Amino acid sequence: MPPPRALENIRVVDFSWVRAGPWATRWLGAMGAEIVKIEWPDSERGRLPSSTTPQGMATTLNTSGNFADTNVNKKSLSLNVRSPKGLEIAKRLIAMSDVVIENFSSRVLRNWGLGYEELCKIKPDIVYVSMSGYGHTGRNHAYTTFGPVAQAVSGLTYQSGLPGQPPAGWGWSYMDDTGGMYGAMCVLTGLYRRNTTGQGQHIDQAQMISAVPLNGPALLDFTANGRRTRRPGFPPGNRAYWPGTPLANNFRGPTVAPHNAYRTHPLGYNDWCTIACPTDDEFARLAQVMGRDIPAEFATMSDRLAQQDALDAWVESWTTTLGKYDIVERLQAAGVRAMPVQSAEDRVENDPQLRHRGMYRPMEHPDLGVRKVQNAPFAMSATPVENTLPAPRIGEHTRDIVEGLLGYSHDDLRAGFDDGTFWPTKRPLFDYQQEMLA
Amino acid sequence: MTEGPLSGLRVLELADETGHFCGKLLGDLGADVVKIEPPGGELCRNIGPFLDDVPHPDRSLSFWYYNTSKRGIALDLKNADGRALFRRLAADADVVFETFRPGYLDSLGLGYESLRADNPALVLCALTPFGQTGPWRDYATTDLLHMAAGGEMASCGYDGSDVPIAPTGGHAWHMGCHYAYMAIMAALVYRSVSGQGQYVDASIHEACALTTESAIANYIYRGETLIRQTGRHHAPAPTMRTQFLAKDGVYVTALISGGLNPRNVAALADLMDAHGMAGDLKDSKYADPAVVAASTEHIVDGLLASFIASLPAEDVYHAGQQRGFTWGAVRAPEDLLEDGHLQDRGFWKTVEHPELGRHFVYPGEAAIYNGTPWAISRRAPLVGEHTADILCGELGLTQAALAALRESGAI
Repeated sequence: MPPPRALENIRVVDFSWVRAGPWATRWLGAMGAEIVKIEWPDSERGRLPSSTTPQGMATTLNTSGNFADTNVNKKSLSLNVRSPKGLEIAKRLIAMSDVVIENFSSRVLRNWGLGYEELCKIKPDIVYVSMSGYGHTGRNHAYTTFGPVAQAVSGLTYQSGLPGQPPAGWGWSYMDDTGGMYGAMCVLTGLYRRNTTGQGQHIDQAQMISAVPLNGPALLDFTANGRRTRRPGFPPGNRAYWPGTPLANNFRGPTVAPHNAYRTHPLGYNDWCTIACPTDDEFARLAQVMGRDIPAEFATMSDRLAQQDALDAWVESWTTTLGKYDIVERLQAAGVRAMPVQSAEDRVENDPQLRHRGMYRPMEHPDLGVRKVQNAPFAMSATPVENTLPAPRIGEHTRDIVEGLLGYSHDDLRAGFDDGTFWPTKRPLFDYQQEMLA
Repeated sequence: MTEGPLSGLRVLELADETGHFCGKLLGDLGADVVKIEPPGGELCRNIGPFLDDVPHPDRSLSFWYYNTSKRGIALDLKNADGRALFRRLAADADVVFETFRPGYLDSLGLGYESLRADNPALVLCALTPFGQTGPWRDYATTDLLHMAAGGEMASCGYDGSDVPIAPTGGHAWHMGCHYAYMAIMAALVYRSVSGQGQYVDASIHEACALTTESAIANYIYRGETLIRQTGRHHAPAPTMRTQFLAKDGVYVTALISGGLNPRNVAALADLMDAHGMAGDLKDSKYADPAVVAASTEHIVDGLLASFIASLPAEDVYHAGQQRGFTWGAVRAPEDLLEDGHLQDRGFWKTVEHPELGRHFVYPGEAAIYNGTPWAISRRAPLVGEHTADILCGELGLTQAALAALRESGAI
């Protein structure tokens, strides 16, 4: 008998799309929940446009690599929720489920007739998690976000970069990933409360809002000390402190030097390693591994902080002679903190730790073939966390859900395809859909 | 008063700066989090900034922020009496959350197998830089080092420069703590059905490696390495800029969703025309997709940039959003105190610091839990603040026993 999974017997009705919502439900699925993803091909924004379809493969609703990684462990039901019949079917599914999750703008679900009050009539203890841009209350609730906009408005973008230059910001939708985390955290918290009290609830999670608490110390430095981050020397690049500017903590731990990224051999685009020495001892060991004496001008931490340009040049004159993994191995063996800058390829192919931990494991997808898929960053001793289903092709499980779960007849299924409930009438069917109608 | 969704849950936290955010997440949602520190206080109390720039273990603003809604006791686990007291606390706890180096609790005889003997329903979550196994298991790190190894730095930087940049703010710890929270809650949901506890081994490195959106998919499905770009997404090849300087010296993130096309050029023309800044954008030639494509530089670097430069950033942000453009001002954290939307949602919280006779404004909740409010139940504990409350009040030690423990250095 296979071991149990943490979220066994939990069913999630998943209206979410694009990235943040699907990233949340991916993890609930990996922990054993049954995720029913409700989709409609005419208004799909997670599968198309795709910039991650393999070269030489036709770009279709089923060939986005990013979608495939983001949507493992789910079943797909194609359903026109905006038709009365489709809405009825969605309600029947919700009545048999534990969680409803969506990441539309603030009023969409309510306008469909599926606001929280309605959901409670269908399933009194439902856990409803809405993942909007700005939340369901407040003057700007109708505003929309992408990761980069949530990051800008919440203060995250500003805190990344070099002094006197524009913000470097975050090079991806960090708040789609992190918003997804909060979505999953809200579902789990809501389920725990339901299981212990019998009560469901609506949890109003929002991408821009969830980002703000990630600025805690910087906000307190302002509210308690009156110190602004709009100041000389901030943000300090990769350093803890920018020399020649007023000494202040820059929210990256203790204020120490060296603390930077250094070029490594053979000077390619991602040939860098980071080194940080929080104590005199670690700095002495760094010098020892470098095979050099510590110059008098770098004797104390305050010397090193004040002369970081010279210090960094001194460190880099050594790092450029070796490869980044070689440097890291030598320094860590001596108890000096160092890590390589790793590209995606480095993480998938070259990182011995991620390999040991089984971070990327192959899985077969009917259109994309065998590909590595990202796994959970934690192991649970009693209830394994693992990817069990490849990302669904659109509507792949419509028959399973409509007939198998909801108890409709095969004729009902065919009628629903004929009247546009399960697929737009004028849109060609994929092979697997033809087969399910046979 | 209504309680948070985790009310009734007892958590023992043995965490440094890598994990204390996870305890805050649990505590602010109603869990009774008891932070166990070594006598004298956890070392992360020495991380600045400090209140009024006066370094002191009870004045670290970083510690304050990440340790709200917790009670604190001092317990020396290297001392036999300290270990015995910890065992007694763990026997009644729902969760033990720890960030010691792999194997340390085991070496003290306080590992999961040992603790579960007294408490089979216990959930023990260990959060470490690399997890409990593997060749990098014992490597030492910092937030910066995780952002390097996790892939964040490979995606952040500037147009035309190869320097990788790590955002400030301790986000490696945030990423690790988000996943640790998730694992703990999943274990608790399972326990609420089965009665069974379990052990969770969570890795900050893996959490960071998972948090770079499409970078892994770009590699796995297309073999691509992405370049770093100023204030916008990494990409296999350079893309249109999205960051523009407004009149007040503040930047604006103005992305045109789906790229330029006649439809959104018309919408842009309407928005800019309302401020007399449409230039030639109202010209009917822009109904032709080919003309729009050929005019990208003129429209983006010319007209859009000039329009944004003519107004303060907040005005551009709201004017754009009100016409359906997903735009935002690039705010500094302190700018957020002025945000009306956050004020409408009651986001900012006032927290009393009675020993100082002062109160301070703290950021609030990541999500609104309707019916079971998120709340900061108390400011971060002072060093050893609740040692007597918990050891005498809950474990029933006498004042004399407490004094003896103090003398032996156990507390």
